[in-house]
Amino acid sequence: MSSKNDIIKNLNPHYSWTLKLADIKTVEAVKFDNPVAEFLEISRFVGGDAVLLNEGEDVNALIKTLYPDAVRIASNLPEITIASFNPDETDDPHNLNDVELAIVKGELGVAENGCVWIPQNVRQKALYFISENLVIILDKNKIVNNMHEAYERVAGNDYGFGVFISGPSKTADIEQALVIGAHGAKSVRVIIN
Amino acid sequence: MKIGLFVPCYVNAIYPDVGIATYKLLDYLGLDVCYPVNQTCCGQPMANAGFEKEALELAMKFEKIFNQYDYIVAPSASCTAFVKYNYPSVIEDDNLPETSGKIYDVCEFIHDVVKPSKLPGRFPHKVSVHNSCHGVRELQLSSASELNIVRYSKIKNLLSMIEGIEIFEPAKVDECCGFGGMFAIEEPDVSVCMGEDKLGNHVATGAEYITGADSSCLMHLQGIAARKKSPIKFIHVVQILASGL
Amino acid sequence: MSTKHAKAAKRFIRNREQEQWHNETLWLVRQKRDNMAMRIPEWEELREQANRIKAHTVAELACYLEQFSSAAENNGAIVHWAKDAQEHNEIVYDILKQHQVKKLIKSKSMLTEECLLNPYLIDKGIEVVESDLGERILQLMGEHPSHIVMPAIHKKREEVGKLFEEKMDSEKDNSDPTYLTHIARKYLRKEFLTADAAMTGANFGIAQTGEVVVCTNEGNADMGTSLCKLHIVSMGIEKVIPDLKSLSVFTRLLARSATGQPSTTYTSHYRKPIEGGEMHIVIVDNGRSKIQHNFNYERILYCIRCGACMNTCPVYRRSGGYSYTYFIPGPIGINLGMLKSPKKYSDNLSACSLCYSCNNVCPVKVNLADQIYRWRQRLNLFHKASTTKKLMSKGMKFIFGHPALYGAVLKIAPIINHLPRFLVYNKLNAWGHGRELPRFAGKSFNSMWKKGKQLTINN
Repeated sequence: MSSKNDIIKNLNPHYSWTLKLADIKTVEAVKFDNPVAEFLEISRFVGGDAVLLNEGEDVNALIKTLYPDAVRIASNLPEITIASFNPDETDDPHNLNDVELAIVKGELGVAENGCVWIPQNVRQKALYFISENLVIILDKNKIVNNMHEAYERVAGNDYGFGVFISGPSKTADIEQALVIGAHGAKSVRVIIN
Repeated sequence: MKIGLFVPCYVNAIYPDVGIATYKLLDYLGLDVCYPVNQTCCGQPMANAGFEKEALELAMKFEKIFNQYDYIVAPSASCTAFVKYNYPSVIEDDNLPETSGKIYDVCEFIHDVVKPSKLPGRFPHKVSVHNSCHGVRELQLSSASELNIVRYSKIKNLLSMIEGIEIFEPAKVDECCGFGGMFAIEEPDVSVCMGEDKLGNHVATGAEYITGADSSCLMHLQGIAARKKSPIKFIHVVQILASGL
Repeated sequence: MSTKHAKAAKRFIRNREQEQWHNETLWLVRQKRDNMAMRIPEWEELREQANRIKAHTVAELACYLEQFSSAAENNGAIVHWAKDAQEHNEIVYDILKQHQVKKLIKSKSMLTEECLLNPYLIDKGIEVVESDLGERILQLMGEHPSHIVMPAIHKKREEVGKLFEEKMDSEKDNSDPTYLTHIARKYLRKEFLTADAAMTGANFGIAQTGEVVVCTNEGNADMGTSLCKLHIVSMGIEKVIPDLKSLSVFTRLLARSATGQPSTTYTSHYRKPIEGGEMHIVIVDNGRSKIQHNFNYERILYCIRCGACMNTCPVYRRSGGYSYTYFIPGPIGINLGMLKSPKKYSDNLSACSLCYSCNNVCPVKVNLADQIYRWRQRLNLFHKASTTKKLMSKGMKFIFGHPALYGAVLKIAPIINHLPRFLVYNKLNAWGHGRELPRFAGKSFNSMWKKGKQLTINN
């Protein structure tokens, strides 16, 4: 406890002109004519992909064409009928190591950077990262312009864990050569419906 | 309006023609120019090396010699920036130094204050513009490449008034040439490396001349070019602007 | 008058090919950053807003830390406070010991580098595995990062290939980055699956909600923390920001400035411990509160560690991270080192030509170059000023202080033009290394003016 006191004691506010948070001017941020189109484009730019589900098109059939060889498919979404198992029945996240494809739901898409917000909506959050491929289902009405709008919607929600994901796992740690698939999913596809 | 001409020490000794071109150009533009002969140096070399104290006396002297003028004009962006932005902290008086508010680099002065609609010069050559650090990032003679602001260049605007000139800019448009005052001798290897890279980028434009608002950078690059026996020539912007006079 | 930096830079530049590769590669990152910045019309306003949020937060840091820690505790996290590196390391070790941790998997954290946590834990018998690819490469080589965002930027693919042959049984002479990265993926996957605890740094701590935000591209922070029951966060006191609204400003700036990406791949928000697990947050001072007091230098605490100042720095690009004596290189490292110990780290002050590019790329508008200038003024106080530079400055002041003497010097200076070359170009003349001396004009401007303005222009 004493270290805390020492540190806090050292940090007395020291300006007479302290700027109030509320007085800091908020930036008028970029908006897009068509955020969905922007989202589709930027998703490819960040190494992922986004596809618009056509009216009447079956999401399961679409995923099947995207990942024809995937066998071990995890999803807890009732509409996903091609899932081979429900990951929420797994007690130990280590057992998810062999998942080839995980299909999860995103809550929010961001047009400026391809981020999808996923507040933990599966029992084992490891699923988002450990599976070889990740499909995120996103409602097209939930795509916002920028991070300001995104956090406005995220704020006030209760989540134990949440993550913005923009494209597949990547690294450029060897000579700045971009390589997809460092530790997380090697492919990320957002299906917008 | 009365203009005090400040010819920085190294320009005085090494590039007197730059001082002369400045005088001629201002004179041609109908301005009343004085050259106070007891001037020496603004103090920047010492201060940048970490010896502001040694610069104090020179700053006080500068202030005394030049504060009687409406404008102080100098053919050196770096020295101008030093008087403008560093004198207040060097002099540390409650009253801000008057010269800080009055000093202009000659290109800045002609572009922003005199605003001539044409210049008589002719310079049928290819030139590569050297955007110096202090010219760009302190005096804002052109838009700094890092910033998302409207692109402009006061130097290019002025040069385009000259007949026959072809203007180029190097790759890494406003990267440092490696001079940096005492940096050049305290970090000789990095400094020379930066200078060689910069020279290479200028030469690659195909220009015959490297031109800029800072003779100190030009001096550095000239030293590199001479060692490398590169045929590229050096000329201060003001010499081009005064070329018809 | 050569500083340690200047000497190390000389060694780096001796391998001109490697220097040029390093220079151009980092310049490419600077260009990617530019492309991103230019796509956001409000970029400069955004930097200004970020600067102000940080100014506000740093001034009110005590409040925000209190708010953060109680919110974090309400979320079920366990908060610890460490005055210095020693206490930080002890706290971390105690937690690990309590949980009988044998293997700790870490994601990148410059704070744990600062505290020298790895050697401390290894000494106590704990296996520590860095999981960021660059960090892992360096850990296996027994080296430390040369850049805060791209730690292994000084390594060539062939060196990594050789290393992996030895440590990960990769194919002989295969140095393809994709191949090597996927080999590392396979090997580190085993480490993730067998680790007992995961450690991360923190990019941001949100005072209002008590959550910790970590940004990665590889997903390594998340792999570790979602497989292990125990998550330890190491966070400097300056990482706290008020709320998620403020965070939106920083997440827009961070990756764009750092690597020229619109966002990092993962922006992870850790609020509560994993099901059945524990989350510990160690809040570390280690000299930061001292900086907060100092009006001249407090802006250094605004830094969000994007590394943009390194990528743009013409000196860093040409001298490499190891040429600096502090563990963080580049403009931010020069300043952090001086704040840590001016006597110990003053050798880095020479590594700046005062070009001011760092000021312009900094997403939170830290006045890095101005602070370097200011430190140079103070070197004398620590008896660390170079005597040569001092003498030169005094000499110049003497000449410039006496107009008549200055006039005389102007007159005789041209003599230097005619001195024999060996007198002018020798080891004592650092200018003459790679450059010819400027030639003094036959007549100075002064003498021409006095002679009645014989104003002729010789083009």
